[in-house]
Amino acid sequence: MAIFSKVYYFNMVTQGHQSEVVIIGAGASGSVAAARLAAAGFEVVCLEQGDWVGPADYMGAQPEAELAWIERWNPDPNARRGMADYPLTGDADVRPVMYNGVGGGLVQWAAMWQPLLASDFRVRTLDGVADDWPISWGDLADAYARVAGDMSVSGLGGDPALPEMNPYPNPPIPIGKIGRVAAEGMDRLGWHWWPGANAIASRRHRSLQACQRRGTCMTGCPENAKATPSLTHWPSAQSAGARLVTGARVMEIPVDKRGRVGGAVYRDRDGVEHFQPAQVVMLAANAVGTARLLLLSASSRFPDGLANSSGLVGRRLMQHPYRTVTVVCEDPLDSWQGPWGQNIYSLEFAETHPDRDFIRGAKWMVMPHGGPMFAVAEYQEAHRHEGFEAVWGANFHRAAAEVFGHSFTWGIQAEDLPEYDNRVLLDPSVHDSSGLPAARIEYRVSENTRRMLDFNVARAVEAAGESGAVTTMVRDVWPTGIGHVLGTTRMGNDPESSVVDRWCRSHDVPNLYVIDGGVFVTGGSANPTATIMANALRVVDHMIETRVSQEVP
Amino acid sequence: MGSSEPTPAQRLTLARLADILVPEGLGMPAATTVGVAGDLLDRSLAAAPSFFEPLLALLDDVPDDGLDAFVRRLEVERPDDFAVLSTTVVAAYYLSEDVRELIGYPGQQPNPLSVAAEPDYLDLLERVYERHPGYRECL
Repeated sequence: MAIFSKVYYFNMVTQGHQSEVVIIGAGASGSVAAARLAAAGFEVVCLEQGDWVGPADYMGAQPEAELAWIERWNPDPNARRGMADYPLTGDADVRPVMYNGVGGGLVQWAAMWQPLLASDFRVRTLDGVADDWPISWGDLADAYARVAGDMSVSGLGGDPALPEMNPYPNPPIPIGKIGRVAAEGMDRLGWHWWPGANAIASRRHRSLQACQRRGTCMTGCPENAKATPSLTHWPSAQSAGARLVTGARVMEIPVDKRGRVGGAVYRDRDGVEHFQPAQVVMLAANAVGTARLLLLSASSRFPDGLANSSGLVGRRLMQHPYRTVTVVCEDPLDSWQGPWGQNIYSLEFAETHPDRDFIRGAKWMVMPHGGPMFAVAEYQEAHRHEGFEAVWGANFHRAAAEVFGHSFTWGIQAEDLPEYDNRVLLDPSVHDSSGLPAARIEYRVSENTRRMLDFNVARAVEAAGESGAVTTMVRDVWPTGIGHVLGTTRMGNDPESSVVDRWCRSHDVPNLYVIDGGVFVTGGSANPTATIMANALRVVDHMIETRVSQEVP
Repeated sequence: MGSSEPTPAQRLTLARLADILVPEGLGMPAATTVGVAGDLLDRSLAAAPSFFEPLLALLDDVPDDGLDAFVRRLEVERPDDFAVLSTTVVAAYYLSEDVRELIGYPGQQPNPLSVAAEPDYLDLLERVYERHPGYRECL
């Protein structure tokens, strides 16, 4: 065993059995890596700070389902305050949301499956801003198809806005009344739309059951119809020998005198510290958690944080700032029915256009609005400024009848370009339940993004009119994010301007990898999970192919 | 450590406030008619226990008279408290089976997908395909 720079690791209460790879985080990317590495015969240990969750924990089958959003299944960890959650502090226009547990964000995600545009990998070349990725769409094509199969995606291929892809494994989920109404509006305007692809099974497929349309996807699917790694990846990973340790909050990744990482130090639920030795460390804790952990792992050799010779760890945070246009129609649309993925989407305004006063673009997607409590809440949000009488008292039932079952939402997610000062830091005074510094978020929505969102909202109101809307309800930028955190450990070919190389290996530490959304060079406007999982698979494939040359402690 | 459920006095206060927010009208019953301050309140607080303490503290702070003005002031001056009150009332109201029946809402019930062999929107989609310029070439 190598000699580590901090002597106290030899005095740990317990020290785990040496593994070839330790993965930190059992979410989208960590699960892909664990399953693939275990299948290839690697000894894998995954450390996850949260717990297993499943249908017994989900409230979607109970009448109180909508209330579940307020706390136990609130997507905002600061509101949820679970034992596995760490506080997010700071002054941010948009504060990240996330779930900490087996499956990570994919426990609560809406399962929208959206590959990046081909142009997203060449933003500098095409549009003169940000940076190109060191890989292309073609480098991910095979992995996109494989993870779509693993995730039982339901969708329709052939979207002309995207490169040609293999067919999805399941037919698309019906677009429903709301998708039809929205599509007809887009058709009248001659704008792009396509039936939504979702990692929700339209029929029984592999480990998933067929969707039952409960519409409670984002508090966990009680029908096991939505893809989440506890169903799609961990059964095979564990069968192949991968070991998953839950309740393991990683505190630090120590380095030896040669600058190699040797494993991970974590604290269990009882506060007992452990050291899990490994030849390779893979960080998969999302773009906030991974950056936080690298900064926590500062040492005499890496005084600004592990793998941070570029100074970019934690910087360039991207979050897809999000606005909504809720479309209210006269005809009943049964719009409490799920699934709560994307019925249809549009990439009409996702590319740069020379006539617009902003660069890059936004993706739109149509979603249902949930039950009556959500409908009233949306109405209240939109009409709050008109005073009490607009929503409550004599107007309550009129307002509720207007929106409930008669409305749907155009969600508009903007491509926020990477900004140096949008970042993750360690909070100097707030700590999590393990005594570790909270993640401090500094994030401003740029002028380019605001103009982009204003333009797209105006177009969505126009589309709503063509869909026969009697009214629309427009929201400003959501102050809590949509769970897309990207860019804080970007990949690139130049060690001075990137944290990891094209294979997502640290430029500074040859046996340290980052495989989550932190490696995104730009964010595109697509929901990132498809790309996060495909990239993780690409990276792990390469790691397996080149295992004989992997440097280890 | 406080009580594990609202007192009768607190329930009475909630009922008076709830009927200001959600009165009878348009063929719909008032909040208290369906029992918002009773079992439905308990179910709501069980699902959202973080509301328990702030709601009860608020109910203890309500004046005997001038409730209409109090609620309106609450919305403007104490929006967090108003959110706890109004969310609890609305959630409890829509837990009522009678209310759900009146608005035609069965709850988030299972309703199996029916996947057609050929979707009925292919004509619209064909037009998307015909008019789209294709993705920006940069592979």
